[in-house]
Amino acid sequence: MPSHLNVDTKYWTLTDEIPAPPVERDIKSWIIGNPSDPLWDIDVLPLTYSDSRWSAFVLDVDADTRQRLCPNPPLTIWDGDDAELVEYWYVQHNNTMLGPYLEFGVTISASHTDAKGNTWKGGYYPYMYLTSDSAVDAGRVLGFPKKMAYIRCTEHGGEKGDDFYGFSMSRNGYLLCAQQGKYDDAPVKPPFFYGKTDWGKFNMKVITRPDVASSEWQLTYLPSKLPPAFNVEGHRFQIKNELTRTASGDSIDWFQQATPFDNMGAELKVNEVKGLISFTFDLVIPPAEVVWNETYERPASYRGYATPYQYGLRQQFPIHQGA
Amino acid sequence: MGKQANEYSYPWLEEGEVPPLPLDRDRIHIISQGVADPVFDYDIVPLTYTESRWMAFVVEADEAALKAITPDPIDLHDNILEFWYVIHRNTMLGPYMEFGVTESATVSGADAQVWKGGYYPYMYLSNDSPIFAGREPFGFPKKAAYIAAYEHGTNDNYFNMTMERRGYVLHSANGRYSDKPVSVKPTFYGKTDWGRLNYRITTHPSVAYSDHQVTYLGSELPPQFGTGHRFQLDPSSVRTCTGDDVRTWYMAGTPFDFMGGSLGNVTVHGLISFTFNLIIPPASIVWEKRVERNDDDVAKHLLFSTPYKYTMRHRFLTPYYPGA
Repeated sequence: MPSHLNVDTKYWTLTDEIPAPPVERDIKSWIIGNPSDPLWDIDVLPLTYSDSRWSAFVLDVDADTRQRLCPNPPLTIWDGDDAELVEYWYVQHNNTMLGPYLEFGVTISASHTDAKGNTWKGGYYPYMYLTSDSAVDAGRVLGFPKKMAYIRCTEHGGEKGDDFYGFSMSRNGYLLCAQQGKYDDAPVKPPFFYGKTDWGKFNMKVITRPDVASSEWQLTYLPSKLPPAFNVEGHRFQIKNELTRTASGDSIDWFQQATPFDNMGAELKVNEVKGLISFTFDLVIPPAEVVWNETYERPASYRGYATPYQYGLRQQFPIHQGA
Repeated sequence: MGKQANEYSYPWLEEGEVPPLPLDRDRIHIISQGVADPVFDYDIVPLTYTESRWMAFVVEADEAALKAITPDPIDLHDNILEFWYVIHRNTMLGPYMEFGVTESATVSGADAQVWKGGYYPYMYLSNDSPIFAGREPFGFPKKAAYIAAYEHGTNDNYFNMTMERRGYVLHSANGRYSDKPVSVKPTFYGKTDWGRLNYRITTHPSVAYSDHQVTYLGSELPPQFGTGHRFQLDPSSVRTCTGDDVRTWYMAGTPFDFMGGSLGNVTVHGLISFTFNLIIPPASIVWEKRVERNDDDVAKHLLFSTPYKYTMRHRFLTPYYPGA
């Protein structure tokens, strides 16, 4: 006789650490699909992070490249002090409400001014990659441009025990970027938004209708200061300065390339790698404001770029077995 | 140290192998974020599949358990489920592995029209683009998981499937095809007036409201995608077995994934496997509702956790997306 076993444990009945499925709760608490078992749920809120390790390469990037990557309208690149400095960062998140994961992103200083003259200043993310599905989806709700990738972050060895570092990111079999080297603790000038509490973060969210008749673009803004509802005083980002390490540009080995699946290496043209700043921090990510939106309509005959049943370069890569 | 290189070439563009760069296009040709390089792009439309291999267990579950996981306005039709794995070899999203549960269900529209279809309470996939191409426009409830599913041995007589997420096994089964008929089939099998139903929730970045929609994919193709039905099965590829031929079956609820806990003590009636081609066209919205929240609602209904206090669902092995 065959062996068939169904272990019907309902963990949410065993511990109050786990919320019941949304279908058993007030509909106001349903925040994301699916109602029987969402990809992430209200136990990620408020979304906090403890002792994450940020490693930010500081790049010199010219204005044309920065403006191309910041969609205009509605964004204008920063043209003040240190405007050319772009952050190119990896993070190892050890403790978060979404669980642990690794992350990568690019941040460009930009601003948006509305018709009434209100101005928002912030870092805009044209590219982000993560290793975890729920963290990607939770971020995409706020507009973060997240994809999944294979990411590695390592600090180890030397006199201080973490003198050497290695970072890399791959996707669909192609290496996107790799860096390695040794911290020399030389001074590195950060991007302009570092430490500025009147600078937040921008993202561009795209919501496409199920019938693809239109897509709404929403420019979202996360201010530095936390909203009262979170009952956490102060600013979202809290750096632990004693754990900061730096490396000069001359000490960094650096490689970056575009791939058929990811164009960052072609679009992000780097004049100079200025250095690396690594630090440990705590973080809260609250809900975001929408400070600009526009809807783009498509004709009923719209049928995309592909030819049915003809698979090209971007549809061919090794099959994944999954996370 | 200090050796540095940036390779800016993009030869695939010059040779016409990839679509124009997103930032060089009209904005109507951006269907997903990030706008500089979307997680899924317009070269997935029309979304077609060729020679995918579908392996569907036919499972009977407790009707009350199924009603408990089916949100209004979706009505459960019966308690026979399709519990399926797919190997997608050629798709506009690239190759990937997939798992899902489909129940027969109906939705009554405002004008008394009844929409009949398979509703998906659970789905898992092995890579990112099809997860978000399914979730964001359509409402498919996709998560990422480790999925192994294959047939092997003489005449591909043996099958095996396993799915795991965050260190817990959600399901595993294996056995041998006997090619005996399966005594029970899901209601929607072979019915061209039954489509597919999904429950989509899109939350505003401020969390001030969430838009709830039931989306519907009809069986028949819309005109701009050709004629006929979207699912084309190769009859010569069908293999079957009975519940007794399923040598082992293991399913479990986990702290991260409620399927095994919610479906309960199911009975396996057999397995039906086949090869097929597919088109997924745009979906229509057959029901929608906006649920608004004020500050009190946010505090009462959304802020479940305590800042900086990490509990069992926040602790698991660091995931390394395997698409390296």
